[in-house]
Amino acid sequence: MSLLEVRGVTRRFGALVAVNAVDFALEEGEILAIIGPNGAGKSTLFNLIAGLDRPSAGGVLYRGRPIAGLGPDAVCRLGIAKTFQIPQLFPRLTVAENVLVGALYGRGAGLAAARREAREWLAFVGLADKAELPAETLSVPERRRADLARVLGTGASLVLLDENMAGLNQKEVEAAVALLRQVRERGRTLMVTEHIMRAILGLADRVVVLNYGEKIAEGRPDAVMRDPAVVKAYLGEAYG
Amino acid sequence: MARALLVGAVLVLLVLPLAIGPYPLRVATVIFMWAALAGSWNLLAGYAGAVDLGPVVYHGIGAFLTAAGMLKLGLPFLVAVALGGAVAMAIAYAVGGPTLRLRGAYFAIGTLALAESAKQLALAWDRLTGIPLTGGSAGVSLPLATGYLVFYYVMLAVMTAVTAAAFWLRGSRFGYGLRAVGENDRLAEASGVDIHRLKRRVYVGSALAIAVTGGTAGYWLSYINAAEVFGASITFQMVVMTLLGGIGTPLGPVLGATFLTLVSEFLGTRFVYHYLIAIGVIIVAISLFAPAGLAGLLDLARRRRQVAA
Repeated sequence: MSLLEVRGVTRRFGALVAVNAVDFALEEGEILAIIGPNGAGKSTLFNLIAGLDRPSAGGVLYRGRPIAGLGPDAVCRLGIAKTFQIPQLFPRLTVAENVLVGALYGRGAGLAAARREAREWLAFVGLADKAELPAETLSVPERRRADLARVLGTGASLVLLDENMAGLNQKEVEAAVALLRQVRERGRTLMVTEHIMRAILGLADRVVVLNYGEKIAEGRPDAVMRDPAVVKAYLGEAYG
Repeated sequence: MARALLVGAVLVLLVLPLAIGPYPLRVATVIFMWAALAGSWNLLAGYAGAVDLGPVVYHGIGAFLTAAGMLKLGLPFLVAVALGGAVAMAIAYAVGGPTLRLRGAYFAIGTLALAESAKQLALAWDRLTGIPLTGGSAGVSLPLATGYLVFYYVMLAVMTAVTAAAFWLRGSRFGYGLRAVGENDRLAEASGVDIHRLKRRVYVGSALAIAVTGGTAGYWLSYINAAEVFGASITFQMVVMTLLGGIGTPLGPVLGATFLTLVSEFLGTRFVYHYLIAIGVIIVAISLFAPAGLAGLLDLARRRRQVAA
């Protein structure tokens, strides 16, 4: 059984079809990248999986169980958690408490275990020295890592990363890619959207390409990048 | 250390009636009453970030149900007030379901409208239902209490319980969830927090505290009418005291209630006609110069002392 199955998922906003009958599956331990030009429907798709939005049609199965229509809290407790495109925090809680909330409620950990895990995940993402600071004092790259630590703290088996590397410089991107590989080594399955192609090529096992809400290609990263439909979606028609 | 200090303070307050005369005792009871009301409001607004402008609903419900329990059922006061509190919790549970789903300003306006509707319903209750309960605009008179101490101790108990609850929220699992909701409710939900269940529990708990306070205040005054016990001015006093004292801090409502009650007593006896103007100026000054409230000022003073030491 696939970890996640997306079956004919459609989301309409009035006349706009943001996601149109998209199908794909995700296996345990995989890193799947969802790419596509701006407005292709990547974030909408992520929100549909994470329970932040409901599909207009189609279904989402997690470990064979239908989850479309559940609230984000229920989806999180089942084992799917997402970082946000604009990194989100509990601004006046400490950085450690931000992660603690995920462990307490996402994973249902007790207070002592949750505190310990919060420390561990902050060390894992390299924010151990910021643990006791109010989260609002973090810089944007740090916020992205804190958001990731919170998601890992929820114990999610499936981690959705919505442009978690946006705004990072080249060195930071390399560090982020290495970090995400370690996340996979810890038994998590990852689904990422990213605009930074270098990061995608180095990280993903498989790529799904969206354009205007439809899946136009799927496969190994190098093969997908050469796909004429993908090139056209990104660069437009050649002059001729 | 801080905990020992607080327990000590409660112990002192327990024996205080032995040492002071009737007037200071009355002022202390007024302070406890407002600290209990403001503290209840602080639990939801200060921690879960839900600004409720209709908490007075449960004050009015508590007052009229306590009166009915004593007058119609012949129950002793403490039983009647407990019953009133229990019914208020049930009503809060039902009302909280839909209203707590409103966010931000919509929740505030919705609860304000709810309180005004409750007031009108209470005024018309006897005429509409044929069941005498509120006495319409004429109100209800209660028997005079024989002793005064029961009011002092009930108000002290509610204030202590509400303040203890706020302290508990600072380091407990439930408290972390609730503060997460207050800080960023969508992120809390995405982190696995069942935000509606948490908010509803606090709403129901604070309804109990407010109803017991309202029932006790009604018996204390021995006369209640719907326009007053459901009056928006009670809500606003709860809000102002909490903001003055420091919202989202356990002792803020106690500080705010103490300060505002004492200032009103002091100015009210000396400047009978103008004291409200002075109170307005004081409130504006504190909001401008100490937006974190009196608790924030104390914090600042403590940190300055630490730096100096």
